[in-house]
Amino acid sequence: MTLYHYLALSGLLFASGVFGVLTRRNIIGILMSIELMLNSANINFAAFNSYLYPDRPLGQVAVIFIITLAAAEVVVGLALVMAIYKNLKSVYAEDYNILKG
Amino acid sequence: MTEQIVFYLLAGVIALSAIGVVTLSNVMHSALCLGLSLAGVAGLFAVLGTDFIFAAQILVYVGGIAVLILFVVLLAGNNSGGKLPRQVNRQWLPALIICTAFIWAFYRITAVYAGSTVKLPPTASVRGIASIMLGEFAVPFELISIVLLASMTGAVLFGRRKPE
Repeated sequence: MTLYHYLALSGLLFASGVFGVLTRRNIIGILMSIELMLNSANINFAAFNSYLYPDRPLGQVAVIFIITLAAAEVVVGLALVMAIYKNLKSVYAEDYNILKG
Repeated sequence: MTEQIVFYLLAGVIALSAIGVVTLSNVMHSALCLGLSLAGVAGLFAVLGTDFIFAAQILVYVGGIAVLILFVVLLAGNNSGGKLPRQVNRQWLPALIICTAFIWAFYRITAVYAGSTVKLPPTASVRGIASIMLGEFAVPFELISIVLLASMTGAVLFGRRKPE
């Protein structure tokens, strides 16, 4: 296994996350695609750390920070989704136009 | 040899379930695919020999975030049986072109690392992570607890009932 295999897999994961963010109508689907992109960044950090700098786990520290921030992000995002759903009764992103005034 | 078999199995699981997350029309199914994909990424961390973030990925992502997303899908998923409306918007062809271009450029860029196979046998990394986090990363480590507290407060604030 070379480092290139891991990078190729994480590139594929990131591209599918971008595709989901650009094309999903459901707001929960968009949040799930963002999680996929964060995971591909995690794979990159861990792979670079164990292949290029195996003596100090700095990349793993970055992965832990990303996991924490992803947890915070998904908690706030899902709370916002639930609050919007209580008002609009819709989960589709194109219906969310109440900020237009 | 064993590492290659495990890697390709995990890569297949991750890629297929990630494509399922973004293409399946039922949100419940794509949430389950997301859990499978996150578990596959955890297995990849185990293959890489990074033990602590393997455990953290299982605990936080598979045990926390995937379950939370499943709860929200059950509460607000809009899947009351029958025929679902169209789940993909009209811009899927430009998005596909963008993703293909991204994958091509990414593979060209990372081809530099095609030969890097030098790898020490994995060692336990918890002690190193702890000394980094309490040493030079002490300030971000404390800041991230403030971020977690703020997100918890925000979730409670958005989720509470309006005072009549």
